[in-house]
Amino acid sequence: MMITDFEEKYAKRHEIASQWKKDGKKVFGYFCGYAPEELIDAAGIMPVRIMGSLDKVSLADAHLQSFICAFSRSCLDLGLRGVYDYLDGIVVPKTCDITRKMLGIWSKNIEVPFTAFIGAPAKKTDAAVECLLEEYRDLRSKLEDFTGEKIDDASIDRSIRTYNQSRKLLKELYELRKEDTFPFLGSDFYQVVKAGFVTPKEEYNEMLSKLKDKLASSKSAGDGKVRLLVSGSTFEDVNVLKMIEEVGGSIVSDDLCVGRRSFWDLVEPGSDPIRSLADRYQMRIACPCRHPSDDRLHKLIEEVKEYRVQGVISIVQKYCDTHLFEYPYMRDLLQKNDIPFLYLETEDRLGEEGQFKTRVQAFIEMLR
Amino acid sequence: MSEKKPGKAKRLKTADKLGKMIEAYYTESAMVKAQKKPVAWLTSVSPVEVCYAMDVFPVYPENYATMCAARKLSAEFCAEAETKGFSTDLCSYALNNFGSIYLDKGPFMGQGLPEPDMLIATEHACLSMAKWWEELSRHFNVPLYVVDAALPIGEGVTSYQIKYFADQLEELVDFVAEHSGNKFDIDRFKEVLKYSDEASQLFTEVGELRKTVPSPVSPIEIFTNMFPLVTLAGKKESVEFFKEFRDEIKGFADRGEAAVPNEKYRLLWDLFPLWYNLRLFSYMEEKGGVVVADVYATAFGGRIDISRPFEGLAERYVANPILTSGVPELIELYKQLVKDYSVDGVVFHSNRSCRMASMGQYDIKQGIYEDLGVPGAIFESDFVDPRSYSDEQVKDTLDSFFEILESREK
Repeated sequence: MMITDFEEKYAKRHEIASQWKKDGKKVFGYFCGYAPEELIDAAGIMPVRIMGSLDKVSLADAHLQSFICAFSRSCLDLGLRGVYDYLDGIVVPKTCDITRKMLGIWSKNIEVPFTAFIGAPAKKTDAAVECLLEEYRDLRSKLEDFTGEKIDDASIDRSIRTYNQSRKLLKELYELRKEDTFPFLGSDFYQVVKAGFVTPKEEYNEMLSKLKDKLASSKSAGDGKVRLLVSGSTFEDVNVLKMIEEVGGSIVSDDLCVGRRSFWDLVEPGSDPIRSLADRYQMRIACPCRHPSDDRLHKLIEEVKEYRVQGVISIVQKYCDTHLFEYPYMRDLLQKNDIPFLYLETEDRLGEEGQFKTRVQAFIEMLR
Repeated sequence: MSEKKPGKAKRLKTADKLGKMIEAYYTESAMVKAQKKPVAWLTSVSPVEVCYAMDVFPVYPENYATMCAARKLSAEFCAEAETKGFSTDLCSYALNNFGSIYLDKGPFMGQGLPEPDMLIATEHACLSMAKWWEELSRHFNVPLYVVDAALPIGEGVTSYQIKYFADQLEELVDFVAEHSGNKFDIDRFKEVLKYSDEASQLFTEVGELRKTVPSPVSPIEIFTNMFPLVTLAGKKESVEFFKEFRDEIKGFADRGEAAVPNEKYRLLWDLFPLWYNLRLFSYMEEKGGVVVADVYATAFGGRIDISRPFEGLAERYVANPILTSGVPELIELYKQLVKDYSVDGVVFHSNRSCRMASMGQYDIKQGIYEDLGVPGAIFESDFVDPRSYSDEQVKDTLDSFFEILESREK
């Protein structure tokens, strides 16, 4: 098992999903790391995270203003081009304003048999968990109506265990980077995470276990490089991370929507599995869309110590309001903690690489 | 504001009264600190009624931003916020607010807003509000309460979503009591709710009167009257004002008198005005285009069931059709407005500051045209920050739109 196997899963995700369809399997897409995948999985439906691509956006321009983030534009563009035609349904939790509005634009222009919006609360309180629990119960009955079959607690529990296993394995891989040297490049880790968005979790767990075994003996990455933590919103282009490594950086930990934030918290199994899910998704490490969202920054500072991080690079989607609002606070907080910080705003195209590269290079030189 | 020749629209008697109310409010706001009255800053779509019921002076930085824009201060304020690292792409209401705080300047007696003792926000009109208020909480080091909503986009509000919001309103009462030292009295609260409900009903009545052809009221009056509707929601004086306003508009309607002479094209406006350039409405009016309906003002209406005060208020704030609709439902809502108000064309202000409100405009425009044959025009601008406003481009778009409307008339 190689990193390239994970890369391939992601690269060929649409072909693979179309094949599932042909084999009679139902496939749902979801936006955002706050969608309760386990519940969809327990309904016998394969959940895949809707992601974009690096293709030039063409059709989405007729539906979204230029001041909507590149990630959303790209996702919708793929939908309009028919790339996501294999989806039987879409599930969207209330997170950012763009995601919230996206479902209606999608369903108006792209045929999809099932849609569900989860009115997820933003606060991390017990009352919010109770409210989310009701949202999940609604979703559960909608899914049951759609498939014509009951979702029993045992199935949800089974899904929880499978998904937890993925999270545990990812955490083990993640933590290998605490050492001076480790068996894979930091950027590779995010290829592994992204494959998890689109691969059935049983298969994914097997892949992760094999990868772990294979990697056990080798330790080649990280040596003598500047240890960095990457923070930010979702982004498509893992090449940005590769570029950071090319100029002498090593990515040892993260605070990313498509990284640690997506898998860090496990579901605590309990007597009422759907409640366990509500608890996990409401109380998980916060995205800046949540209130309050400081825990992600406190965790980041902890990791800087734990992973002996020399500098933090923030990669934020242009027009991502919630990340942008927190930027000055984050900058000041890191400064107060004497943590060097580089802030990059991206429109998800490597076209900006030249300019980025120079800045990253200078930052890394400074940290040497 | 645009007192110098407001197009051809007739000036209302209540417009003078409004000016005095705004002045009185901001004069009071300049004195509250000296009077040791507790001050709360609120986002729009926040339950200001709790503040009035508990003798807390409410401040609306969003309304304030519209004033700063009208007095040509917003460009300087937004630029100042950017020097601290806030992106120019962020909401200019927020940037304006940050800038005016840093510079301690404002349009009223030269000073900024009275500092808050507490902060109250909702996040369901847009998430930026909660993020903005978090920043204020850090800046002033004062407590913040966010009234959070689970929203049913396109799927109808559920009882547990109302309960979640209503329970937080009760928590908010405790929060305000703790940080103001003032007591909560349920009868006082109900009285405030009654006034708030009455004012929005009167405002809705004016909305109904706008169905009259020709329109008995100009959009500038509607938009500037958002001040007593939002900031003074729950005050008796707001009810009195809207009674007079309603009567004055009803007079126009009864007499068949046009607020704007030569009404040729009846327009639906989406969504925010350009607060630094309300005269754009006058420009359209000179061409015979009169805004007779808008969705912005509608968003602040809605009844309150006073017999269940917390749930009633929660329903009013959460079950807001503008905020709980997805694009397909918005298309239906707009189509209804087009029919009810005999609308000839729709003008969309694609507001760079408000992704939440602007997203979907292309599809809404197309949906209305496909189903009703009513055309629309979209122009891009910002509601408070005039720095990238291009008068020429906007007017070009509007001119071509009027040509389309004219050619259809034949």
